Amino acid sequence: MDSWIVSMMLGASLFLGALALLAFLWAVKNGQFDDEEKFLNATKFDSVEDLNDAIDKERKKEDLKKQNYRPE
Amino acid sequence: MNLSNKLLCSHCHLEFSEEVLIVDQTHYFCCKGCQGVFHLLSDEGLDSFYDKTANIKLSAPTTQYENSKNFNAPAFYDKFVKLNSDGTSSVSLIIEGIHCSACIWLNEKALNKMDGIIEADINFTNNKANIVWLDELLKLSDIVDMIRAVGYNAYPYDASLQEVHANNERKDYYLRMAVAIFASMNIMWIAVAQYAGFFSGMTQEIKTILNIAEGVLATPVLFYSGWIFFRGSFYGLKNKIVNMDLLVATGASLTYVYSIYITITEHGEAYFDSVSMIITFILIGKFLEVISKKNVADSLDIIGRHLPSEVNVLKDNKISSYKLEDVKIDDIIIVSSGERILLDGEILKGEGSFNESNLTGESVPVYKVVGESVISGTLSIDADINFRVSHDFEHSTLSNLVSLLENAISKKPKIEILANKLSEHFSSLVLVLAIVTFFVWWFWPHSFEESLMVGVSVIIIACPCALGLATPVATLVGLNLGAKKGILFKESEQLETMAKATTLLVDKTGTLTLGKPDVLRESIFDDFDKRLLYSLVKGSNHPISQGIFRFLKQENEPEEVIFDSFNQVAARGICAEYNNIKILGGNLQFMLDYGISSDLTSEHNLFFLAINKKIVAIYELGDTIKEGAISLVESLKRQDIETIMLTGDHEKSAQKVAKFIGINNVHAHLSPEDKLSFVQDLQKKGKVIVMVGDGVNDILALGAADISIAMGSGSEIAIDVGDVILLNDSLTSLLFAFKISSTTFSLIKQNFGISLVYNAVTIPLAMAGYIIPLIAALSMSLSSLLVVGNSLRIKYKWARS
Repeated sequence: MDSWIVSMMLGASLFLGALALLAFLWAVKNGQFDDEEKFLNATKFDSVEDLNDAIDKERKKEDLKKQNYRPE
Repeated sequence: MNLSNKLLCSHCHLEFSEEVLIVDQTHYFCCKGCQGVFHLLSDEGLDSFYDKTANIKLSAPTTQYENSKNFNAPAFYDKFVKLNSDGTSSVSLIIEGIHCSACIWLNEKALNKMDGIIEADINFTNNKANIVWLDELLKLSDIVDMIRAVGYNAYPYDASLQEVHANNERKDYYLRMAVAIFASMNIMWIAVAQYAGFFSGMTQEIKTILNIAEGVLATPVLFYSGWIFFRGSFYGLKNKIVNMDLLVATGASLTYVYSIYITITEHGEAYFDSVSMIITFILIGKFLEVISKKNVADSLDIIGRHLPSEVNVLKDNKISSYKLEDVKIDDIIIVSSGERILLDGEILKGEGSFNESNLTGESVPVYKVVGESVISGTLSIDADINFRVSHDFEHSTLSNLVSLLENAISKKPKIEILANKLSEHFSSLVLVLAIVTFFVWWFWPHSFEESLMVGVSVIIIACPCALGLATPVATLVGLNLGAKKGILFKESEQLETMAKATTLLVDKTGTLTLGKPDVLRESIFDDFDKRLLYSLVKGSNHPISQGIFRFLKQENEPEEVIFDSFNQVAARGICAEYNNIKILGGNLQFMLDYGISSDLTSEHNLFFLAINKKIVAIYELGDTIKEGAISLVESLKRQDIETIMLTGDHEKSAQKVAKFIGINNVHAHLSPEDKLSFVQDLQKKGKVIVMVGDGVNDILALGAADISIAMGSGSEIAIDVGDVILLNDSLTSLLFAFKISSTTFSLIKQNFGISLVYNAVTIPLAMAGYIIPLIAALSMSLSSLLVVGNSLRIKYKWARS
């Protein structure tokens, strides 16, 4: 067997596996699995309004970082 | 009442009959609280909350909260509010009254709407909220007010101390294990190809490719997942201890370096699979230990959490609430029935019974009048009193107890754990053997390369996987067995300590006895309507009445009648009237007061029932001994464990119980401090002590004992101090706890035996240079499987019996 094929297959599959592993590690670090209930229940209340709220929240945080968060 | 008249409250969805509801346009409310919340939500545009809770019953909001301004006190901020580097503040709150995910939604929504709140995040699982806000715009009290306004309550907790630390450690292990397991699984299938090639032959080129792939996978395992072992061995060496971590770290890294060398020189066999397997197995074992360990820092913060921090003080004819620390000597404090006394003092007004069993172990309530002193930590049963503070909080009985407890816990002896002792010797032995092997081979004479290979193979084959798994797997089995029987061990190491116990100390009230008076004998002189007695005792919360109430309920529960008049006389009894029948129930003194006499005396408490001034029945009540007490003492005696009774109660009642159960060694009339010094004296004589108790009077001794066991129904403080909790309070499960711990300990010893025998066979083979990769890999997995299998064997044996 051509050893090039072996090394290519090994490399490709390990690379793909590593991507999946990194995604999993990222999720654990971000606390995606910290709250199993929220994980399942939060989707129930998803709406346009909630998405807007989430954006507002992000904006508040951004403003704070720039040290100019002062509500009107 | 007609069922069709029942309507649901528009806010909490509880059912009420129409006439009690408040009608507000098209909505109905059960109380002002629900109405207020409903309107607030409509005004704020949050009424979609009700679409989400269509079928869920909520609790109606209560209104009598303490003043929220307390949350703004500097002392409070110091303790609970954390200042972040970017100028924001954060606090952790526990939110009360959450029923469903819609409640969380509402709270998050309401909080996020407030100006100044940067982030409000509520955990669905444990109802804990993490709030970040700008303190210059908003005070903590405003946040709490908002939570209360939408119908919930919030109180703060100190997150930094407890779980944050534990959670971070756990998360760290998850990450490291994920990497290790991923890499090991991939290495395994590459290894399959390698072993197949070892026997059927393969070109050096393919072999090198496989080696490189394995090497790439093993690198993160060794340096990321295995970092814990490098750290552990560094701290071990700093304290001049050769520990298992050192063996794992040197073994794995030597093997790693050796395998790289093999890969580059392209001859011989690389052992990258061993590197990742060793690390992965032992990491899993370590993780099992971490999750079954309790946080030491936790136990020191215990009492503060259980004490209400405020008291009602009467000043300038006004009642206001004060922080415990701010109360001064000679302040006047108001305590109503059912409340706990938090400061020492002298009664100025009022009288009544106090439950002092917490401190003294005495099961009968103590009656106190004006001029007598009250002790902090006791409970008012039916007394509404004003008392003058005689010591400030720092010098109160309760506070003294707290500092003594902290002292006792920090001085708790640590019994050396078998695994630590063994692994230290084992690790040094293996390292020495490897070095000796290397030199022997080198001087034999062989080439440097070959001697190094044999030396390294000794370390590889002495894989401490089995040794590392021996304790965690066995204790996990023990913890599971306990949990099934209602015995909670807080820390896995306690199983081993308990197996070495020599002395059992037991408290009397609440531990050996039920701790509440029960009817021992009923003597009826004249027929009477049981309903009258039942209704009479039901209305009182005195322990004696409660005892008779339980007795009647058990026998044949009568109906309740409504008395025309009902009057309780503290420490005497109850008098009531029903259809012109005068009913008196109480002690002898009460009967004499009404001119009724009786010549019956008893060592137990007597309850007389007189109807129309004639005694119709007498109940004898006493503390009854729990089931299984006698067999407990007997079987422990057979295991050479001595049982000693320590109690704060009187000599007489202590002796009686002890004699009945068969305990010869009794110490009565002990204060909490006496119990503590008793435990410490025994420990100085080299005894390993198990202490069982349930009350505040036991906590000092519990804190100092090698193993402390608390009853599940005991005081919260005792449960927190306890190492082991008996959820069902029974003495049979206490005996089980002893059995489980000794089984687990022998299991640990067996597991060590297995892994040592394995090493005794394989290490000489490795020293003689006979180890081929297949044997190394097989024996490694085999020894680990043997240890796990042996542990499971015990589990099934127990499950069957």
